[in-house]
Amino acid sequence: MREAIRLIKRLIGGALMVLIVATFTFFLVRLMPGNPVQAAYNTLITRGMTPVQAANEVRVMYGFMPHESLWAQYVHYLNQLIHFNLGQSISYEGVSVLHIVLSAAPWTITLVLSGVVASFLLGVTAGVVAAMKRSSGMGSVLTVSGSLLHGIPQFVMALLLAFVFTTLWPIFPFGAPYGGALTPGFNLPFIGSLAFHAVLPVVAYALSSYGGWLLTMKSSVVSVMGDDFVLAAELRGLKPSIRFGYIARNAILPLFTIFALSLGFMFGGSVFIENIFDYNGLGNLLLTSINNRDYPLMTGAFLLITIAVILSNIVADFLYTAVDPRIRRP
Amino acid sequence: MTARTPKNNAAPQIPPIHGESFLRMSWRVIKAKPTRVIGLVIIVVFALMGIFGPLLYPHNLPINPNAIYAPPSLRYPLGTDFEGTSNLALVITGARYVLFAALMAALFTVVFGTGIGLLSGYLIGTTDTVLMRITDFILTIPGFPLLVVLSTVWNFGQPVAMGFVLGITGWGGLARAVRSQTLSLRERGFIEAARGLGLPGWHIVFFEILPNMGPYIAMNLLVSITGAIYAEVGLFYLGVVPFHVNNWGVMLNLAVFTGGAMESAKALPYLLSPLVAILLLTLGVVLFLDALDEIFNPRLREAA
Amino acid sequence: MNASEPYSAAVGAGITIRNLTVTYHTDRGIFPALKDVSLDIRPQTITGFIGESGSGKTTLAMAIMNAIRTPGLIASGSIYTDGVGDVLKLQGESLRRVHGQHFGFVFQASSNSLNPLKRIGAQLLDLGRSHGIKDPRILLKEARALAERMGMDGDRVLTSYQHELSGGMRQRAGIIFALVLRAKVVILDEPTTALDMLSQQAVLEIIRQIHEERGLTSIIITHDMGVMAEIVQRVVVLYAGRVVEEGPTQDLLQRPRHPYTKGLIDAIPRITGDLAEAKPLAGSPPDLATVPTQGCVFRDRCSLRRPVCDLVEPLAQPAHGDGLVTCHGVNAHD
Repeated sequence: MREAIRLIKRLIGGALMVLIVATFTFFLVRLMPGNPVQAAYNTLITRGMTPVQAANEVRVMYGFMPHESLWAQYVHYLNQLIHFNLGQSISYEGVSVLHIVLSAAPWTITLVLSGVVASFLLGVTAGVVAAMKRSSGMGSVLTVSGSLLHGIPQFVMALLLAFVFTTLWPIFPFGAPYGGALTPGFNLPFIGSLAFHAVLPVVAYALSSYGGWLLTMKSSVVSVMGDDFVLAAELRGLKPSIRFGYIARNAILPLFTIFALSLGFMFGGSVFIENIFDYNGLGNLLLTSINNRDYPLMTGAFLLITIAVILSNIVADFLYTAVDPRIRRP
Repeated sequence: MTARTPKNNAAPQIPPIHGESFLRMSWRVIKAKPTRVIGLVIIVVFALMGIFGPLLYPHNLPINPNAIYAPPSLRYPLGTDFEGTSNLALVITGARYVLFAALMAALFTVVFGTGIGLLSGYLIGTTDTVLMRITDFILTIPGFPLLVVLSTVWNFGQPVAMGFVLGITGWGGLARAVRSQTLSLRERGFIEAARGLGLPGWHIVFFEILPNMGPYIAMNLLVSITGAIYAEVGLFYLGVVPFHVNNWGVMLNLAVFTGGAMESAKALPYLLSPLVAILLLTLGVVLFLDALDEIFNPRLREAA
Repeated sequence: MNASEPYSAAVGAGITIRNLTVTYHTDRGIFPALKDVSLDIRPQTITGFIGESGSGKTTLAMAIMNAIRTPGLIASGSIYTDGVGDVLKLQGESLRRVHGQHFGFVFQASSNSLNPLKRIGAQLLDLGRSHGIKDPRILLKEARALAERMGMDGDRVLTSYQHELSGGMRQRAGIIFALVLRAKVVILDEPTTALDMLSQQAVLEIIRQIHEERGLTSIIITHDMGVMAEIVQRVVVLYAGRVVEEGPTQDLLQRPRHPYTKGLIDAIPRITGDLAEAKPLAGSPPDLATVPTQGCVFRDRCSLRRPVCDLVEPLAQPAHGDGLVTCHGVNAHD
């Protein structure tokens, strides 16, 4: 019951964030130099539409009328948003923004989450080893590799990977999420091709945050190993495997609190990685919509990326509560 | 597996060397490992590049139609670009915008982050709740897409403008950390004493609490600089920011999107020059951070 | 000791320490934390280790369990305990089994000796599994009985997390962990610091009763003379890594021989009497790096200092009947 209330509270908080972001993008577009709403209206007029037709067309695109007051436009926009209407795309004429972003979202979410899971597992394991063996050569090598990978910007990593594995040694395919000749569906060649095409982008995501997890886990393990209860476990003669479990579980907890940062970073990285690997996800959509001056689509893509981050954060938060008894309310 | 950091059991305290100045101690720590010296040298070289780089070359870099995408040679150590301009010259002259904007970004980040963290942690109560809500919000919004969206209205031509936006979207983490340190500091005896003496709040915040966080903030400045470099170079690489000035991100963009560096080898030096510059700077910062860590957290010395 | 039978009758074991030297290795040199310590811990008695912080009392307790960790190192010596042999020769699995089955260690009340993420019952099961207990029910029953013996609700303790217990309850939970495998030697590190006066009394009383019921050999590490006088039967006084005096509590407190022991006793303020009568010990204890390498380590603070103290380190001589004192200024036969 308490958990349910907490979940509802979190969801309301998330909805509030989405509202703020929507408001921000609304005013951003509306107050943009050159006023794109007015510009769209003018273009339609020059195409020979009547002012009424043109105004209606603009309303379909943006969710409000071009001649209303700013406040009325805002209210109309929010009203549309509550009904999940994000307007119509300008560059894909006549297609609803919601349809476009929803079909792009799975690509992004799958890649990002695979990257998060892979980097988390790898980074945490390597971090434990780096902490246990920190006075040995292997520990230093792991730590240095972590620092370096942590330092390399995501797009540099993606460019390097793309260059090395598609140009220098063309092992992996480049561009498009699956082979062009295949029919999308639930069949083996298609899924295999999907996975094969996803390797490089997922590796790029994973490598770009692996170092962060490694370094955080290492310092967390080192700090837990100095805790009294670890010494106590040793002096009570607990088996090494049990002691290891004690350390690992306690050390991994603080990592959940930086999940929020990591998720924002990973979803944000989709702009680069999808661009570099020519993947049809939200990040690429955001870029092309900006290049095409397709502001309704830009707003929609940005909103959806934000929603993805907020939802993943809520999930991570509940996972955290599940593993730490101290924050479970009695 | 054994725990090697005795925290409270039988850990004898070896007293530090007394009477050593901060600079002298820092130098001793840096000297202790050659990697740290290398890191420092790399950072200094890049800083010099940013300050004096553009002075070494004419305002408009010479082009050479006979040496388009020339491979590295004595005359063009890093090859040339699509106009036959030396890549080395491009990297060196491009450093100023990149580094200056990054410095601005780091300063803004530190000012916003420290200011909000201090206020939040010192005033507590409603102010704290509101400020932390805002901080959480800033932390949650995916920063890079936000920058991309902002690029539609904001003019990033000036490094200060670039730095300002990077700062205003990037202060969240620092604010949180400063807040939690402020919270723990305000419970310490000397802060209680200052309050008891009736010293004004701003005095306590700026003269009693802030100096205690100096080292932490200094480290954050360096980390923020690298973060800002990546973000701005990324923005230019994506081509969402108009190319007012030559810089590393513009080079990357032109190499990939017009030079076809991904498909052919001829534009490769053009692509790799800025990449190597970024990687080298990263390496320098990573190596040097290790020294900062030890200078500011003496406890690490025994844990290592 | 037979590792597969931890439930053999618990009888306190004696400990014989000979020429024990423990050094700490740092980047500024090697420093002795214990120097040439020889000492007998008598079976079935409560022995107190007293000294200022840095005197080596915790190091000595850790060494007895062969649990010195880097940067510390046991440089030389032997520690025999009944049923085990030389503890310092043990390593790996056999050393692990001695921890818990032969030695029970109780942490300070202020420290968190329990895994914060597991219920106490689950941690007891981990303990049982580590020491080859076939039937976990017997172990839990024993733990419940101990908890109730110490005035707690057994079921509640076993189903609690550490953060759900008060300081005094945590301390008692720590005692359960030290005793549940029927350890023969129980070492308690500052068992009463950080507890309020009433809890202190209760904990000391529990320690004394269980000590007697089980015929344990108990070692209490403390800097609190009051605790000493209250329950300890024999006192070991440590200073700068040396045993400076040892003997039965009453005799040692009434007729301290070593000037350092005298100083410690004089420093206690009495409830009846003038506060000005309490004389703090002049000077401060040396840290590892400043311990003199030659002569008596206490001479700089000593009232009985004579020329020989600068040159020769004093040897132990008999005192208090079956005890000892290490001082040039004390004549054993006066």
